[in-house]
Amino acid sequence: MPENDQRSISFWAGTVLVGLALLAPFGVNEYYQSFLLQVFLVIALAQAWNLISGMTGYVSFGHAAFFGVGAYTGALFLTWGYPWWIAIFNGAGIAALIAVPLGFLTLRLRGPYFAIAMLGLNEVGRIVATLWVSVTKGGTGLPLPPSLLPSLDITYFMMLSLALGATLLIAWVHRSRFGLELRAIREDEEAAEMVGVNTTRNKVTAFVLSALIPGAVGAVYAMYTSYINPASAFDPARNIEMIVVVLFGGSGTVWGPIIGAATVMFLREMLWAQFPAAHLAALGVLLLIVVLYLPGGLVSIVRERHRERPDARPGESP
Amino acid sequence: MKSRFSLSFLLSILLFLFASPALTQNNEIHVGTSVALTGKYARTGQEQLQGFQMWVEEVNERGGLLGKKVHLIHYDDESKPETGAKLYEKLITDDKVQLLIGPYSSDVTLAASTVAEKHNFPMVSSGASSSEIWARGYKNIFGLYTLADLYMDQIIELGKSKGLKKIALVYENTAFPRGVAEGVKRKAKELGMQIVFEEEYGKASTDFSSMIIKIKAKKADMVIGGSYLPDSTGFMRQAKEARLYAKIFAFAVGPGLPDFGHNLGLDAEGVMGNTQWEPTLKLPGAKEFAEKYKVRHGHEPGYHAGGGYGAGHVLEAAVKKAGSTDRDKVRAALFALDTVNAFGRFKVDATGKQIGKPAYAVQWLGGERHIVLPEEAATAKVFYPFKDWNKR
Amino acid sequence: MELLEPEILLQMLINGLLAGALYALLAGGLNLIFGVMRVINIAHAEFMLIGAFGAYVLFNVFGLHPLFSLLIIVPIIFVVGYYFQRVLIERVVDRPMLTSLLATYGVSIILINVGLLIFSSDFKSVPVLQGSFLIGDLAVSKPRAVAGLVSLVLSVGVYLFLDRTRLGKAVRAVSEHAQVAQICGIDVRQIRMLTFGMAAAMAGAAGVMLSIIYSFWPGSGVDFIQKCFAIIIIGGMGNFVGALYGGILLGVVESFVGGFISTQWAEAVAYLLLVTVLLVRPTGLKGVARA
Repeated sequence: MPENDQRSISFWAGTVLVGLALLAPFGVNEYYQSFLLQVFLVIALAQAWNLISGMTGYVSFGHAAFFGVGAYTGALFLTWGYPWWIAIFNGAGIAALIAVPLGFLTLRLRGPYFAIAMLGLNEVGRIVATLWVSVTKGGTGLPLPPSLLPSLDITYFMMLSLALGATLLIAWVHRSRFGLELRAIREDEEAAEMVGVNTTRNKVTAFVLSALIPGAVGAVYAMYTSYINPASAFDPARNIEMIVVVLFGGSGTVWGPIIGAATVMFLREMLWAQFPAAHLAALGVLLLIVVLYLPGGLVSIVRERHRERPDARPGESP
Repeated sequence: MKSRFSLSFLLSILLFLFASPALTQNNEIHVGTSVALTGKYARTGQEQLQGFQMWVEEVNERGGLLGKKVHLIHYDDESKPETGAKLYEKLITDDKVQLLIGPYSSDVTLAASTVAEKHNFPMVSSGASSSEIWARGYKNIFGLYTLADLYMDQIIELGKSKGLKKIALVYENTAFPRGVAEGVKRKAKELGMQIVFEEEYGKASTDFSSMIIKIKAKKADMVIGGSYLPDSTGFMRQAKEARLYAKIFAFAVGPGLPDFGHNLGLDAEGVMGNTQWEPTLKLPGAKEFAEKYKVRHGHEPGYHAGGGYGAGHVLEAAVKKAGSTDRDKVRAALFALDTVNAFGRFKVDATGKQIGKPAYAVQWLGGERHIVLPEEAATAKVFYPFKDWNKR
Repeated sequence: MELLEPEILLQMLINGLLAGALYALLAGGLNLIFGVMRVINIAHAEFMLIGAFGAYVLFNVFGLHPLFSLLIIVPIIFVVGYYFQRVLIERVVDRPMLTSLLATYGVSIILINVGLLIFSSDFKSVPVLQGSFLIGDLAVSKPRAVAGLVSLVLSVGVYLFLDRTRLGKAVRAVSEHAQVAQICGIDVRQIRMLTFGMAAAMAGAAGVMLSIIYSFWPGSGVDFIQKCFAIIIIGGMGNFVGALYGGILLGVVESFVGGFISTQWAEAVAYLLLVTVLLVRPTGLKGVARA
């Protein structure tokens, strides 16, 4: 399929979906509105992870750490009396701020060590939230007073905006020089250095952007559930979902995370109330399938393999 | 092609949502609850659910509530507050229940009650006692249990009367144990006793050996644990291993359950604990409930089962008083209620906090659990001091 | 400060050494796998839990004492590990390390959640050994002593195997340089399967030992794998003896941190160590981790 046709189909499909999403609150009951909110949450997180792991090749096993930081920051600012939009802004901001030094430190590590370091950082986040009792109230968690919470509609639209924004960001990065440099880093970092790509600046930028979005998402999430504690804010299941959603859908692509999110959320909705462990076990199976048989994700099945550019690989959009 | 794929996928999801039928209520009253059936609080959660289920059965035998059959919808919150919060959202917005019973444990109730308050839906809680829950000015959470801060009062007074001075305090880092600890500190200060050791531990902690070493070093007279069942059991085991000795060992949750004596055997002898209720109390219907429960489940009910049963009765009384399941009417009825059922007296203050019911202290004696304090309700005399490990 | 009494310090030391022996056994196995095939097995702690739950089931259904169960469980897990390697890991050994990391991560998730489906998340334990030995003023907990000693014996056993036997030397040869070993006539693939089986068996044994000391649930592995990472990264990836010493060191550090600060801080030690070393001194990892 010629590139231009593909692009316009993408565009129209995206517009229709966004339109439906905007209209949904007016027709659907609260429970299903919550469901959609969670779909957007997964999409936003997945795209953020896609940026650092799919596009730059630094696979993170602990990105939920930024989600957790955002959740606590947002919740705390809300309880300190600030309006919800400032709380979200700060959630994103603090997450990004922390990501700067962390990025410089962790991105020195190669592949699996980066992954393990991020995994460790997620746990460190949980530990800090547990032990810093004077601020976070530790293991008891923070219930948020209902009077301060924004309505479900507001959180819904916030999450939709974040999912949309994250996706558009990925789409933009894809076509930009920045994205090209990131892909170069992913393919062969040393070679990229040699041809003059400032790998450090690019990596850290991608890392910080990929931390900013989960920070905001976390803050919105805290307002949606009205309660967070260290276990739920730094939930390892969120890490698993980010990884599986993107790898299963198709890493490094724009639509991959969206397809992956739809699949995983559907699975989750069928299983979570009665069989929560089955949902995660299924994700583990999906991950294995991807790793062993389907490195390009679902997107690579559906798409016809053909080279638009010499450097395009199977499973990557042109 | 790929865009068509995802488009049809999402479209079908949305179509499914729009076409989804609303829940038909017909001639039943739906009560919803989520209890810990797995995880750290599993045993106690199961007991609570079983007690409640017994009420459901009985009320239906008596003709139901307001002439309609009562149907219970329940889920497992895995002892996790965040899961509990999500499940109550589901009960309220998806299952659309008319009445709510709270979960087990103060931390899960803390999260769940926020959801109930958000939807302005009254919730009767039989499994929570932390005053933090009622300090928020909410209007929709009604408790059956005596408050956590009062738990250890009688036992500390006992210690004082025996001339003890030094208390070691350990507790889990969640709402209820912290509440117990606050109460211990307050009471100790009041009586001029000293807290020589205090440490919080995590929900998943199972290794108390470091804490025990420190308590030994401080030579505490009394060891008090703001704990649940697994930690109190584990602590006593490790205390025996480390040969930690104190004149009084007391735990908030644990000794009140049959499992405690069953799991520890002789090592449970002399350990004191708290209970909200015992089957031996002279309350209307308590004896019958206990006997029926024992036949059904093979062991005597502890206070968690009693609480579940009592919550059902409170709900029944409130609905009868309100004459309907309308949320505002039920809420008003709950605030005004002053009734006694098999679990004890139910009367709440303006925040929904329980003020009518006392708590009791138990002790394991001769392989059985007895009420020892207050003396008026006691079934046995306090055994003091705790027998040393090598003298058993 | 009362804590600085010699008996108390000694008590903390002993507790730490005994716990450390368990860590050493576990980390040693993980290290073997890494050394021989450059695979980081995130599912290693779940193999440990298979051992723990195995002991639990055998105890509750057949009344078998865990020390006997050990004799049954260890060979079984060895075989499981052997075939696991053959069916799964062999496919990813030649790929970049990240691929095998993802694969073992997937396996870990599957194992944890299948465990939850079967056993639920209540704490389980096998409290057969109770009480303690009294050595002067020192109370040495019986279950910990037994677990620590058995772990120590097994670790030393594996070390001797690697050092003295022909097969052990073949294993070491493959870790040094797989291609040269192949040329020398060693069946590298067999060695890999053998190694994985052995490491899994070590983990399983550690699990049986775990069951008599602590309470556990299917999610307990998460903390242990982090401890293992901390141990092998500090002790040197691929360095078997380093892992043994590192394990014991971690146990002792945790015990003292628990004694002088709090148990919650002790639980955080491994994570903090791991993250600090990775972030601050990756060159300390003998150049392996440096980007």
